[in-house]
This record gives sequence, C-alpha cells and structure tokens, in this order.
Amino acid sequence: MSALNSNNWDRRTVLRAAMGLAATGGLAACGGNTGRSEGGASGKSLTQYFHAYGEAGTQEAIKRYAKDFDGANVATQWITGDNFESKLFSSLLTKNAPDVFEFHPQLQLIRSGQVADLSDLVNPVKDDFNPADIKSHTIDGKIWGVRMIDDPQFFYYRKSMLEKAGVEVPQTLDELVEAAAKLTTDKVKGLFIGNDMVQTQYPLVWSSGADQLTADNQIAYHTDAVAETLSKYRTMFKAGHLLTGAPADSWDPSALIQGLCAIQWSGMWAMPALQKALGDDLGIFPYPVAADGAKPSVFNGGWSMFVNAKGKNVDLAKEYVKWLWIDQKEHQEDWALSYGFHVPPRQSIAETADKLKSGLPAEGVKFFNEYGRFENPSWTQAMITAFEELIADVVRKGVEPEKALDTADAKVNRELKKLFG
Amino acid sequence: MTTTTPEIKETAPRADKPQRIKRGNVIGNTGLYIATGVAAFLFLVPFYLIVRNALSTDAEITGEKWKFFPTDIQWGNISELFTDNTVPYATSLWNSTVVGVAHTVGVLLVCSLAGYGLARIPYKHANKIFYLVLVTLMVPAAVTFVPSFVLVSSLGWVSSFRGLIIPGLFSGFTCFLFRQYFLGFPKELEEAARVDGLGYWGAYWRVVVPNSLNFFAAIATITFIQGWNAFLWPLVIGQDQEAWTVQVALSSYMTNQTVNFHLIFMATAISILPLVLVFLFLQRWLVQGVAQTGIKG
Amino acid sequence: MSTTTTRDATRPAPAKVSKTKPRRGVRGTTFNFWLFTGPFLIGLLIFVYIPILWSAWLSFYEARYTVTPDKFVGFDNYEYMLTNGDFVGSLGTFTVFAAIVVPITWALSLGLALMVHRLRFMKAFFRSVFFLPTAVSFVAASLIWKMSIFSGVRFGLMNTVLDWIGIENVAWLADPNPPWYWLVILTLRLWLQSGFYMILFLAALQNIPPSLYEAAAIDGAKPGWQTFWYITLPQLRATSTAVILLLLVAAYQAFDEFFNLLPKTTWGRPPLVELYHTALGQNQDYGAGSAGAMILTILICTVTLLQGRFMGLGRGDENK
Repeated sequence: MSALNSNNWDRRTVLRAAMGLAATGGLAACGGNTGRSEGGASGKSLTQYFHAYGEAGTQEAIKRYAKDFDGANVATQWITGDNFESKLFSSLLTKNAPDVFEFHPQLQLIRSGQVADLSDLVNPVKDDFNPADIKSHTIDGKIWGVRMIDDPQFFYYRKSMLEKAGVEVPQTLDELVEAAAKLTTDKVKGLFIGNDMVQTQYPLVWSSGADQLTADNQIAYHTDAVAETLSKYRTMFKAGHLLTGAPADSWDPSALIQGLCAIQWSGMWAMPALQKALGDDLGIFPYPVAADGAKPSVFNGGWSMFVNAKGKNVDLAKEYVKWLWIDQKEHQEDWALSYGFHVPPRQSIAETADKLKSGLPAEGVKFFNEYGRFENPSWTQAMITAFEELIADVVRKGVEPEKALDTADAKVNRELKKLFG
Repeated sequence: MTTTTPEIKETAPRADKPQRIKRGNVIGNTGLYIATGVAAFLFLVPFYLIVRNALSTDAEITGEKWKFFPTDIQWGNISELFTDNTVPYATSLWNSTVVGVAHTVGVLLVCSLAGYGLARIPYKHANKIFYLVLVTLMVPAAVTFVPSFVLVSSLGWVSSFRGLIIPGLFSGFTCFLFRQYFLGFPKELEEAARVDGLGYWGAYWRVVVPNSLNFFAAIATITFIQGWNAFLWPLVIGQDQEAWTVQVALSSYMTNQTVNFHLIFMATAISILPLVLVFLFLQRWLVQGVAQTGIKG
Repeated sequence: MSTTTTRDATRPAPAKVSKTKPRRGVRGTTFNFWLFTGPFLIGLLIFVYIPILWSAWLSFYEARYTVTPDKFVGFDNYEYMLTNGDFVGSLGTFTVFAAIVVPITWALSLGLALMVHRLRFMKAFFRSVFFLPTAVSFVAASLIWKMSIFSGVRFGLMNTVLDWIGIENVAWLADPNPPWYWLVILTLRLWLQSGFYMILFLAALQNIPPSLYEAAAIDGAKPGWQTFWYITLPQLRATSTAVILLLLVAAYQAFDEFFNLLPKTTWGRPPLVELYHTALGQNQDYGAGSAGAMILTILICTVTLLQGRFMGLGRGDENK
C-alpha cells in the first residue's frame, strides 16, 4: 500500500482504473448468451442443425416436432446459405457443436469418430427401411445414421416449350444437347443444370457408364466417356444454351417457373411448387444415356440424422433421434409429404403415401426405383469438392478434360490415401 | 481546445483563388463540372439501385422491361423483412450494433492507453516492445484467422459476443496511430498536471484525453465503420444464426434457397443506413480521421 | 503475466531514471508503463502471437477435422500447399489483382481529388458523393454488383443497357473466358475505395503552398499539365506512397467480394479465399491451411522488410 501511495496514485485514479477494468470485464462477461438454451434448472437441452429447406413451412415443422419431444428442450439451428457443410464441419470442432445434425453418409465423419453408432436404434426396424438406404449408412457392420427422406433428382421440362420448338423428350445426352440448342431463344435458355453447373455431377458419371469409385475404392470416374460428356457440357456452355447467373439456383423451381429456362435439373421436393405454378405444362425425364451401353440415371440424394459422438449428452441425443425418426411415423410422413415431396425411406410410410401414388409424383417414384442410384459413403466431401472443381475447370474455364481429370485425380487420391491408407 | 491538438488541420476551404482567376476558364470550368457530374452520377447508380429494388416488387425487378421506378412504392417490404423468419435479420442488426459499439469502445480504450504508454512513459524496454507491436503490422490479422479461429473455438467463444469482439481489440495499427499522435502532444500540459500530483494515470484522463477528443472522435468513427462492415471474422465465428452480424446475414441472402429480391435489397438498404447517417452527420470527424490514418499509414 | 510485471516494477531500473528526472513519483514509471500497455500487450500475446505459434505447430501435423492432432508429418503440408497448384495459383491471382487494382485506384482517386479540389461551388456535395461508398461494406456491394448490376440474366442493369444498344447478354460471373469477372471485381473496388483515397489526396492538395504555383506562374509555367507534373505530383509524393502501400495491403487482404461473387470456381481465388477453403471450408484441413498461413506470413515479412530497406519505414521511430 505504501508503495502505491508513494507514487502517483490517489483514490480517484484507483476508482477510474477499477471502472476501466470493470468495463472490460463486463465486455468479457457479455458473451455466451446468444440464444442457446443452456438447459439448467428447466431441464436438459439439445441442439440440432438443419440446412434451410426452401419449401414454406419446413422450418416451423421441424421446430414443431422438436417441441413435442418431452425428454429435452431441443433448439434448432436453421442454416441458410449454401455453405451448410462448412458451417457444420467447423462447428463440430467447437464447444457449441450440435448434438444432432442432418447430413449425408460420409466416411470421414465415421473415421474421425465424429458420429455415434446408431445400430441399436435402427436394427429393430431395419426391414422397414429401403435396403439401399440401410446399405449406404452401414460401414464396418454398424449403422451410423437414420435416413429421414430420399430425394430423387431428375430433369423437369415445360411441355409447351418443347412442343413449340418441336423437340422430343431427350433419350440420349446428344439429344439433350440438341434440345438445349433448339429451345434457346433470346429470352429463354434451353437448359439449367445449376448456376455452377455442378448439380448433375453424379448422374453425368453414371450415365456415361462410369462410377465415382470402384468397389475397392479406386478412382472410377476417369474414363474417356466422362471426359466426352464433360466436353459436351463445355459446348453447351460456350454456345450459351445453359442458364447461368439465375437468381435462385436449380434446387429452387423459380427458374423454370419464371420462364428463364425450358429444362431444369431439380429434385422431387420442387414438384408441388412446380405443379402449382405450371399445372399440366410440366414433365420429367431421367438423366439420359451419355455413352453406349450405359443407362439413364437418377440421383437419389437425401438427408439423414446423425448424432454427434462428442456431444455433451449422446444418449439423450440418440433418444431424441429414435423418438422422432424411428417412432413418430406421423411426423415422418408429414415431413416427407406435406411441404416438398420426398420419398419416405420407411416402406410402411411409402406404401400409404397417397400423394405419391398418381400422376407426376408417381412417375418420380418410378424413376427413383428404376433409375435411381444412391450415394457412396466413401465418396467424401473433399472428393465432391474436387469433382466440382473439375466441372468448373472443364465446363466454364475450358481446361482440357483429360488434364482437369488428372488434377482431380491427385486430390481424390490424396483423400483416398488418408481414408484407406 | 483546438490549440492543443496541433496535428489536426481544419479542412475548411482554403483560399485557392489566387491561381484560378483567369480568363477563358469558363469552358474549362464547364468541362470540369460536366466531368465531375458524370463521375458523381456513376457513383450514385448503385445507391439508386438499392433504393429502387428495395421498394419494388419482385415482378417489377425481374420483369422483361426495365423499370426506373416502382409503380407503387412498396413500404410493406420493410415489415415483410422483419417478419420473414428464414434469416434472423433483426437479431443480426442488434448483434452488429453491439459488436460495432463494443469494438469501438474497446479499441479506443486499449489502444489509446498502450499508445500513450509507448509514447510517453520512459521504460528501458519500451523500444523492443514497440518493435513487437510493429511486427504484428506486417502480419495482417487476416492471415492469422485460421489459428485465431482454432484458439477462440478452444476457448469456447464461438458464436458469442466475446468471440466476435475481443480478439479484434488489439489492433497494432490503431496503437501505432495513437503512439504517433501522443508523440506530438504538447508535453508541457501533462507535465504541469503531473507536478500537481496527478501522476501518469491522472494526467492521462484529466488532461490528455479531454484535449484529444478530436483525434479520439476521428479514430472512433473509422473504427466503428470497420467493426460494422467486418465480414471474414464474423463469418468464421458466427456459427449460430443468433450470432450473425448483419454482413453475414446479407451474405447468406445471396446464396439462400429462395431469392426474394425486394427483401434482399431492403436488407441491404437498412444495413447501409446507419453508416450513411454517420457519414452525413459526422463527415467532419471522418475526413479528419481518414486524413490522419492514411498519412500515418 | 501480471505477476512478472509487478516483479519488474521492483527492479533497480527506476533509480537510473530518477537521476535524469529528479521528480517525485518517478519510481512508478515501470509500473505505469505496464499499467498503460499491459492490457494491450496481453491481448496481443493471446490473440496474435499465440495463434501464429499454434499455427506453426499445426502446420507440421496432419490435422483434419481436429485442432489437437497427434500425427506428425514434417513438411508434408508445406509440400502439398506448394505443389498442388491451387495455393501457388492464388498468389498469382493476387499479383494480377494487385497489378490491376492498385494503379487504377490510385489514378482514379487522384483524379477525383484534383476535380473536387478545383470546384468552387458544390464542393462539399461532390466530395460527399464520392466519399459515401466508403460507408458500404464489401458484402453489401458484392450483393448489388452480383444481383443487380452484373447479374447474368436479362434483368441485370448492364445486360439491360447492352440490350438497349443491341448487344447480347453477357454471363459476367459465370464464364471466365473472357474474364469479365475482373471487371466486376475491379469496378466494385473502385467504387468502394476511391472516395477514401480521394480524401487523402484532397488533404494533401490543400497543404501545397499556393506560393509554389505563383512562383511557377512567374517562371512562365502554364497551369495544367505543366504545373501538375512539376509541382502537384512531386508535392503529393508522400501521400502517393502511403496510398499505394495502403492499396497493396488492402488488395492482399481481399476476401469478401471474391468469396461472395465467385463461389465454386477454381479461378479468381486470392490467398485468403484459398486458405478459407482449405482450412475452414468443406475440407477442414487445418494442417495444410496453417502451412499456407505460415508461408504467407513468411512472404509478407520478407516483402515488408525489403520494403523497409527501400523506404526507411519505421526506422525513424526507434531512436525517438
């Protein structure tokens, strides 16, 4: 104390210093309360992450289901924007990680111990699930996620526009290229495969008679036919037959509705909105054959629930997933059919789904069963990114396909080496 | 007060008559005004677009024929924006306000103290320490965002005001500016105060700060603008929607599933408004601040 | 931290100082020094120095989906970053970007300043108009540029204007050949930044003594190019240097508009965007991302030091 007195201190300065410290301290204390319910006395809490579905009512629905759960107070993060993966992955590193999140089955999540084993939840009702969904979620004999919805993706077209241009529904990629050319006018573009041209990245490989990976996890997409398909994309792009820079990307039906394009790649989810806006002026077809001997294809995407294995309350999170996505069939049905259309992965629900029994939805389900192919969990996000860059390089930048494929190979191989040694 | 702040020059119009009283300059002047007018027109076009789109319907914006002005001004877009629940816009505005204000107050407090200490308090290692501060100027904060994120996330500060505000407070550049400013502050004043027994701390708060309000105001306005407009760090830290700042919210509008032009542009207009007001009403401080920061840089 | 500082305060240092400044209360200078600078220095240590060191450590590990890795990989991450082309390419992108944007912004802001400086009425109005865009964030500007001015569809402003004069729509951002995206990014930066630098030039222009022009006029120099070239420009040298430096730093830190305008591309990715995608994007490779950050840090330090050699920046400060 005497030391302080001997220099320049008086009571007032000490007071000011204290106030200064208090100000910074207060600043430090003001964090943390950003809407996350911490549980506390009111009961246990969970956080779930969803990407923003475009259909009206979806967010309310998810929150409504969560509210019905008695075991915990479930907070929902509705992640808008197109970087759901980035947001999810980086938040999983932090203390604010979600307990439950939707994603696609990907091997790196399992290898890094990020997601919990859900076998004991799914096994009792395993036979009720679409076998393909079980297969894509089973790794090392364990089931890691619960499929919520299956989303077949295919081409939608405006019947009137095709008739007017005298174009038949394309059966091959060459016919599609030709159709895109004929359908393009100064106001309408022939074809829309996403603003970044990446939305058909799966079927373009399959319909070229190739696959992403072989059964023993080697690169399988690097074939002459795939290179050929990509250069056809390049031709369409350079000729100005592809819609680019549309305000909403192709997962949203507005480009077709607004008449910006005649044919658009999108998902089953967009069907109710499209039918409402266009009525009968609407048809669908699978991704056409792009190489001799190959088959048309449809991408059966979808979303599954996962439990964060590093979460604070894994058991409770599992209980919630079991309650909602295994037991609550009413909610599951509502989720699959009341907003956008999705194919229910539970066969007992799919059988009674009258909305999918007739007309265009029934055709979509037929494509799903006949041409649909599911995700391969070994094809991870880093490989998806590499393939998207390949498409950007070839289609938009004009890089020689062979060269761009080699670049992609290097990245995919680096990833494969990390996963499989 | 102005006499004690010699570094700040009044930007009031100076006599620039002498060399310009020339005949035949009428043509030159007309040309000058035309050129300036055209440039000003181009600079105003984006503002026009924001206002036009914010007050139109989507049909008018995306229609086949260009519309210069909305047929009916859609004031309802404002309430629609705040009731739309896909992007938490109101929350993000509030977050930006908190972050902007706290950032400004914090930076001013921490950096001005440090700048004063480095400039005025004799200490044998002061030069070495100042060198450590200078080194950080070479490594812009943007390069360290990966490790900073790692650090902040391990502190558990992701998606919190703490995480948004505190790491940005320690600006080597602002500290440097304050140090340079205090080096030029007249010594006599504070020495007199210290002789009166105030000490460094007392002299600082009683004499130095009250006589430097111009400079503080200038730095404050610039700092607030930076805080409000920051994007990369809030993008990385704002994992939860509840922790988004207005810039992150705007960015997410751009990639949203459904695109509503009128809402997006209304959101943009409202996000810009506070700063436009700052610019119009505090321009004097700002111009001084910019001149000050820039020349020292 | 605070314990060491108080220990320092009891060291003999004050005695020495007190000889030169015989006044009471000087014993506390060391304490006062730390009182003033302590909070800042602690923060600097935690939020600047520790991240750099942590990053250095991470860069030698395989750190995917984790920030506490255990697999040491030596210089693998560095090798990967330097050989896979993307990162090196991003340095090239930055060079092109800086080479275009720095001189043009410099020229435009100087031009605006000269114009505004010569105005006799409505000066404040025009100054405000040019300065106002500084208030707008890069994100908001990207949004206006992407969705309204350079939108690739028919209702974008540029495409509408092109339509009026009978030219076909241009996909400004989708097609990198020809690289129209540079036009988009350049105009955006010019709009946002020129006003700021114009203010700097205006301040400098006002500080040029009118007597210089008077003397030149007596010597027979014609107002216009001659006085500009021989008086104005040399008088603005200090400001010009500062502006160019600031522009370079700003160009180097470019992230916002590239991130928002060019998603899912392999081109137009400056270093920070590349690092974001490597580390925090979908790949979550913190090891490689940190290696990239270290390489950048080393590059900048080298450049800054070289630059300091040339311009003597910061040298004057040390012997004050």
